[in-house]
Amino acid sequence: MQALPENARVEGAAAAAPSDSPLSVDPIFSVRDLSKSFGPVTALKQLNVDFYPGEIRAVCGENGAGKSTLVKILAGVDRPDAGTIWFDGQARTFSSALEAQRRGIAMVAQELSVCPDLSVLDNIWLGSTDVPFLHRRKELRRRAAEALSLLGAEHIALNTPVSQLAIGERQLVEIARMLTRNARVFILDEPTATLSDSEIDRIFTALTRIRQEGHCVIYITHRLAEVFRICDTVTVLRNGEMVGTSKTADIDRRKLIEMMLGRPFVEMYPQHGYTAGDPVLQIDALCVPDAVSVFSAVVPRGDIVCIAGQVGSGAESVIRAVAGLVYNATGSVRVNGKPMRLGSAEEAFKNNISFVSGDRAAEGIFSTLSVTDNLVATRLKALSRFGTLSPGSLRLEALRLAAQAGVDQRRLRARADNLSGGNQQKLAFGRCLGRAQAGVLVLIEPTRGIDIGARAEIYQLMRELCAEGYGLLVASTDLEEVMGIGDVVITMYRSRQVGSYRGKAINMQDIVADITHPLH
Amino acid sequence: MRGYGSVSAAAVASRLGSIRVGKASVIQSVATLAVVIFAVSTPGFLSETSIRSLLTTVSFVGCVAVGMTFITLSGNIMSFSIGASMSATTIVFMVSVGLGLIPALVLAFLFCAALNGVQGWLVGVFRANPIIISMAAYSMIIGSAIYITGGSGVYPLTDRADILTRNLGPIPGPLAAFLLVALIGQLILSFTRFGRNIYLVGANPHAAKAAGIEPWRTVMWAYVAAGLFTAVSAVLVAARYRSGDMEHGIGYEYHAISAVLVGGTAIQGGEGSVLRTLVGTFFIALMQGLLILRGFGIEMQYLLIGLMVLGAIMLQWKGRT
Amino acid sequence: MSRHLRALMADRTVRSFAVLVLIIIVLGISDGGHGRVLTVNTTYDVLQQFATIGPVALALGLSMMVGEFDLSVGGILSLAGCVAVLTGSGSPVAGLLLAVCVGGLAGLAQGSIMTWLNLSSIGVTLGGLLTFGGLSYFLTRNTTIGYDRLDVALGVNAPLLGIFSVRSLTTIFLFLVAAFVVSWTRFGRDLLAVGSDRRAATIVGIRVNRILIAVFMISGSLTAIGGGLLSYGLAAASPTALADTLVPGAAAAILGGVSLAGGKGRPIGIAGGVLVLSMLSSGLTAIGMPPFAHWIVTAAVLFAVAILDSEELNRRVYSIRCALGKRSDLPPSGGSPILTEPQGDQ
Repeated sequence: MQALPENARVEGAAAAAPSDSPLSVDPIFSVRDLSKSFGPVTALKQLNVDFYPGEIRAVCGENGAGKSTLVKILAGVDRPDAGTIWFDGQARTFSSALEAQRRGIAMVAQELSVCPDLSVLDNIWLGSTDVPFLHRRKELRRRAAEALSLLGAEHIALNTPVSQLAIGERQLVEIARMLTRNARVFILDEPTATLSDSEIDRIFTALTRIRQEGHCVIYITHRLAEVFRICDTVTVLRNGEMVGTSKTADIDRRKLIEMMLGRPFVEMYPQHGYTAGDPVLQIDALCVPDAVSVFSAVVPRGDIVCIAGQVGSGAESVIRAVAGLVYNATGSVRVNGKPMRLGSAEEAFKNNISFVSGDRAAEGIFSTLSVTDNLVATRLKALSRFGTLSPGSLRLEALRLAAQAGVDQRRLRARADNLSGGNQQKLAFGRCLGRAQAGVLVLIEPTRGIDIGARAEIYQLMRELCAEGYGLLVASTDLEEVMGIGDVVITMYRSRQVGSYRGKAINMQDIVADITHPLH
Repeated sequence: MRGYGSVSAAAVASRLGSIRVGKASVIQSVATLAVVIFAVSTPGFLSETSIRSLLTTVSFVGCVAVGMTFITLSGNIMSFSIGASMSATTIVFMVSVGLGLIPALVLAFLFCAALNGVQGWLVGVFRANPIIISMAAYSMIIGSAIYITGGSGVYPLTDRADILTRNLGPIPGPLAAFLLVALIGQLILSFTRFGRNIYLVGANPHAAKAAGIEPWRTVMWAYVAAGLFTAVSAVLVAARYRSGDMEHGIGYEYHAISAVLVGGTAIQGGEGSVLRTLVGTFFIALMQGLLILRGFGIEMQYLLIGLMVLGAIMLQWKGRT
Repeated sequence: MSRHLRALMADRTVRSFAVLVLIIIVLGISDGGHGRVLTVNTTYDVLQQFATIGPVALALGLSMMVGEFDLSVGGILSLAGCVAVLTGSGSPVAGLLLAVCVGGLAGLAQGSIMTWLNLSSIGVTLGGLLTFGGLSYFLTRNTTIGYDRLDVALGVNAPLLGIFSVRSLTTIFLFLVAAFVVSWTRFGRDLLAVGSDRRAATIVGIRVNRILIAVFMISGSLTAIGGGLLSYGLAAASPTALADTLVPGAAAAILGGVSLAGGKGRPIGIAGGVLVLSMLSSGLTAIGMPPFAHWIVTAAVLFAVAILDSEELNRRVYSIRCALGKRSDLPPSGGSPILTEPQGDQ
């Protein structure tokens, strides 16, 4: 049991967080009985937790566990409904993000928060209280350049509009923004999703330095490998409640997952089923200018072929080209032996290729429409007679697809953006089903931003589709996922195809080597 | 909000959300219904000439508003040229009425459909900015009209088109036409693949593409539909005033978009219906009618209508995010 | 093209002035050496039009830069003109100031409603347009009110240094102030941030609501200055006289590099766009083109801008080139593929 901060004003008897502090100093943040609801949905339930200076604390939990809500409250972006927060020994609730910033809290939010039309320099200093009314100052330029070089990003010119930067570079700009704040608490919410390994190394170096300077780092991540690599302690939340805090040295991966799920760890990846069926998709010499040079692959029926590669390797472009979303793709693509014209999404659809995007909000679902509308979006032509549709037949079809994809059938009339990330992804899958013939599914990052429980369900769904005769082509930067579900793994590096592995030959070492520094 | 809490909580939230969005429509529908009942139960209401005249004018605007609804639903905000294309169509109609009523009608419909269809094609194929395209089309139509007609109207000496001004029993002919147009429009939106595609493309054109629907076709046909509905208004107006003139359609786009927004269709697209526009049109018309009955001059009418439109739009607040 | 030249052409602000130069050249050529285009008279004319459309374009442009759209500019223009004329008999400056206050209040009201009720600006400003327009009908009792200070009417339009006038100098001054604020102050940077990505701006702590309300107040005030001076110059206020300013204003702003999506464009670019339209209008008149030509040329320029700025332009151009057989069939150079044999088997 952890005693309350000594110089804190105690309001009522409060239970202390069941934590295992490795350091015997006062916490910099203490939270007691914190509760927050959004309408009828409870995000945090009487949470108690302490954060200490001089440590890197991981915060883990499934989607919906409350991690982002918690840190947003700590950073002043949201206000709690109930409970007390002690910062630096004083009970305090920040009235705004600005006030929190003044007190020394800096945050990199989960969603990329840069303004594309502004320059790198402006983005770094956006929102900072240090910026005077006439904001073009040499001093600010110097400090911005310093922050960038800390992250190994000196090559990014300060006057470049952020819209011209790759997504990983934009993330670095945001982290540079965080570094320029004179902060004592640094909060990062899933910062590494879009970064290459070398960029991630740099960030970890910067975070380690911050810890050595005696500040507190709060690090939210789904990537358990990172938890064990860089974090000293880990706090697990589940369903808005505190499960526990532990030193990373004291637990292992399996135990961590159990804490997150609340149940014993079940094998997440279903059995592989490499069948070597007849090819349902054949790609020959696919090229996309500036993105892919000469990619070839075969997807057999009933198999999952994964393209592994870092952000920018071209794996995504391959998928988009096959889905008909790249207008200047060249090469030959055959579906069930029949050649298909590239550059048209309609063509791809007619040839039974279904696309599941990695960016749900932008491309995957119709957020403002209902679940039914989302599910039947691709079925309209098949269900219409002389151009007309009956709402009854649409509803029946939606029920059928929902059952197949694992979407709750009672939610058919709900708006799609009220669903969790995992359910939205199932919607995206459901939309691809229901065709007369099993075809090809091409996917980018199928489980991005989805918690462990829902991930297992999606992998199961993918296997079921394979059993029905679908062929799947998946581009993913999550190597664990690639190894877990891939029957065949193709590696890419900087627009080139590097290697191809099948069955037992798939191993992490070779794959990592291929996608980071191939021998040729 | 995503993923927090249990399934049923989120379902309740969505139901609450949809009630709130519909709140304005509910209030307006109730208010409109109340006034309609009050009006119809007043003896001689429908024969009151100023009210009949109001209903006729409302029908002219209403048909255009139905067309504007299609454009807004497809995600293209509004068209600034729809009034001008209506005016130009009156000219085309009056010019060709000498060939016979039917040929003139066909020409008028084809012309207005093409005028708007080309804009829809440009907006769809290039994903060009719909506001700028419609402003460009507006300039083009005005300029061409000045060149061709020299700025004057067309007054053919024929009564062939008078049949379009007749009444259906006690109901003014244009009103019947407007109601028919609204019915057709709503049927298209609710029961055809084209209608569902409009919602999909309006809600998220990128997702529509990813789902294998090419947005440009849907957008183009939405504009064509708008052109056809506008043509109905054009021929009715031309028949009523026995002339084709660029003055006829001035300000129609503002009246039309007011009706659409007051009715509750979302300006960004993907949400709304012709039914809502119908309610919006009648709401504004009835307010206007009340002002006429109370003897307010036109200056007060404009001001009060403006305030009422603002009020109706304010009623659609969705609460703080 | 060298990299620097390409970057310069991609700059939206520079582009509008490039178009301006192009138009001047084309007009000069069509003039056939009669010397009617680059004269003092034409320049004065251009600047007078600049003074009329400029404030509206700037106001509309600022609201677009912040990611919104101020449909009410036409209404505020009318209203401000009426207020200025009705109250400006004794002291024209007082009348103008009152008009500016009215414009600012109009913007404050609309901005507050928008942010407080979380509504889209098109709906609210449409209501504003109808309300303020209606107010001007109300104030003038649907007639044209004359302005009895003819000295002021002549004074605001009197040529200064041959090509300027009080109106055009005021407008130029407004543009310079706006340009300074947008490029050199934190407020200007935050304005563009809100327009570029409102969600990101909220997360970093920018007070988005305050910025929106401020922008609409500025937009209303700018429009009011323009409307007041314009009405003084016409020596009359009429509820319908200034109705058709939305299209030229928006066209000028977009020509000047402003995007409906927000975050892009600069006041100097907008000035360039206004000059383009004014130059077109005056220049065409100067070389004797009939009025309809103005409309047609404006339409052509707008179509061109819309298509050149469109998202799918590259894709469509590519399709056309493929159809014409110009595409090379060789794969793009990238070296030989690095392909190792598939290793192992089940």
